[in-house]
Amino acid sequence: MKMKIHKLQIARRLVQIAVVLLLLALPVNARYANYVAANEIDRHLERWEGSLQGNVLTLFDRAYRALPGGEKERVGEMVRDDEGVLHNTQAFRGGPWSAEIAHVSMSDPLAAVESMVARKHVAKVVVISLIVPLIATLLLGRVFCSWICPVGFLLELTDKLRGAVAFLEIHPRNVRFSRGTKYALLGGGLATAALFSVPVLGYIYPPAIASREAHDFVFGVFDRAEAGQFGLWFGGLTWMSLIIAAIALFEVVLSRRWWCRYVCPGGGLYSLLGATRPIRVKLLEPKCTHCGDCVVACPMGLNPMLDRMGVECDSCGACISSCDDKALAYGLWRTRKRATEEVTPSGTLIAK
Amino acid sequence: MSRASFLRRSLGTIVRGGLLVGGVFALTGIRLGKRPPAGARMSLGIVRPPGSLAEAEFMAACVRCNRCADACRANAIRFFGPEAGRHHGTPLIVPEERACTMCLECGTACPTGAIQPLLEVTDVAMGVAAVDDRLCVSINGTGICGACFTACPLRGKAITQGIRNAPTVHAEFCTGCGLCEEHCIVDDRIGIRAIQVTTTRAWPARKVA
Repeated sequence: MKMKIHKLQIARRLVQIAVVLLLLALPVNARYANYVAANEIDRHLERWEGSLQGNVLTLFDRAYRALPGGEKERVGEMVRDDEGVLHNTQAFRGGPWSAEIAHVSMSDPLAAVESMVARKHVAKVVVISLIVPLIATLLLGRVFCSWICPVGFLLELTDKLRGAVAFLEIHPRNVRFSRGTKYALLGGGLATAALFSVPVLGYIYPPAIASREAHDFVFGVFDRAEAGQFGLWFGGLTWMSLIIAAIALFEVVLSRRWWCRYVCPGGGLYSLLGATRPIRVKLLEPKCTHCGDCVVACPMGLNPMLDRMGVECDSCGACISSCDDKALAYGLWRTRKRATEEVTPSGTLIAK
Repeated sequence: MSRASFLRRSLGTIVRGGLLVGGVFALTGIRLGKRPPAGARMSLGIVRPPGSLAEAEFMAACVRCNRCADACRANAIRFFGPEAGRHHGTPLIVPEERACTMCLECGTACPTGAIQPLLEVTDVAMGVAAVDDRLCVSINGTGICGACFTACPLRGKAITQGIRNAPTVHAEFCTGCGLCEEHCIVDDRIGIRAIQVTTTRAWPARKVA
């Protein structure tokens, strides 16, 4: 099987790596901005010189000072306007669960829906934070899972580990569960949230856990530095990280992409929202030789030759990369052309 | 699919979902009963960031995203750990460690409105400070201090000074920012500051041992 890597696959990997870096960089950025705002940055840069925390802060400081400030005075991340008032230009905050990127507030739809359901009130800020993710999902489907989700990325990597484990002649099992499970968990979780007025799904949704853990980890490291202890410190992490580790372990030995395919409540919500997406993976039936490479490649366990890429597809494009006949491509749903087909006596489809 | 098998499958899915949700609670230790979390300062209640909704509504609206702490200019916002059950990930302020400077950035950062954006410092109502007459050096006669008065952003209104700099808190002006508590000079060895902020939040009753 010759693999030709689609350009979009490279872009997707780069975005995934960038998200993992941002997962750590955004809390550091927040901490840096806080020190600047509190006029503590110079003191910390001086006293922490040479330590891990000091080096990271220096890196951020240099990066911010290298930004074009125009005539306005730039004090780290704060810009002093003509009247001498400091404005917070902190443009990047949060994590994949809920973030502010270039001053645009974005929340995971699961976060927004849970908050609204638990509070039984639709707040304006929630709706505003939903705009970008909702439009992206309605147009492109479950792309959060395949492009942004850091745990999805982790599971893609551990998926490769399954192959390595098989090379060692340990054969990982591939248990299948019902795909309905994630919708059941979504419904049950939202009902629980409404009943007890606590958004509970955020406690098991892996990107939310990753957001919180990365934040707690970075803040913990800097809190230690403020107390005069330097170096890495993993005490900021909580045992919630073990949930992600357990998911990854289960994935390697028992069931391929089981969390994303069968359990993830956020993935379920994205699936439902993206059910009528116009841009999706399309099968060009005349070109298909029914070799089955795409079925092996699909991380979500779908059959691109049959499934018509419905709600479960996360549009990752693995099938497109795997197809040697260029029979799969991203395309507009509405312009999907039906090939004229006829059934030969042997029962295979041929295209005229 | 026949109706019977459809019903059976739906029932199976619902049961599985119920087991999963139950498992989630067992796994994450979320207790849904009204139980205040263990942790710092519980006898005084939790001080939430300025502009936070009433406690029950706050617990419902907050999605535990940590964005308020990213925005906090004073690094005053902390979070409950997983041991706090359903409070895990919700913000709190521990004034004796790091008090709120009332920059009010957290309200603009909150994506759910759990922390409302406030415009005026005088709108803040996180708690009320109270002076312990036995511990305050200016009141008990062991010294002349005035640190709380100097630290107070509403000095002259929320805190006024009497003879030998003895502070008086005026609850109608006090916002509960806790800067007085952070700067109180009474020794940490006592384990308690001479001026402390008590939350104004309605909190489920708890017996203090």
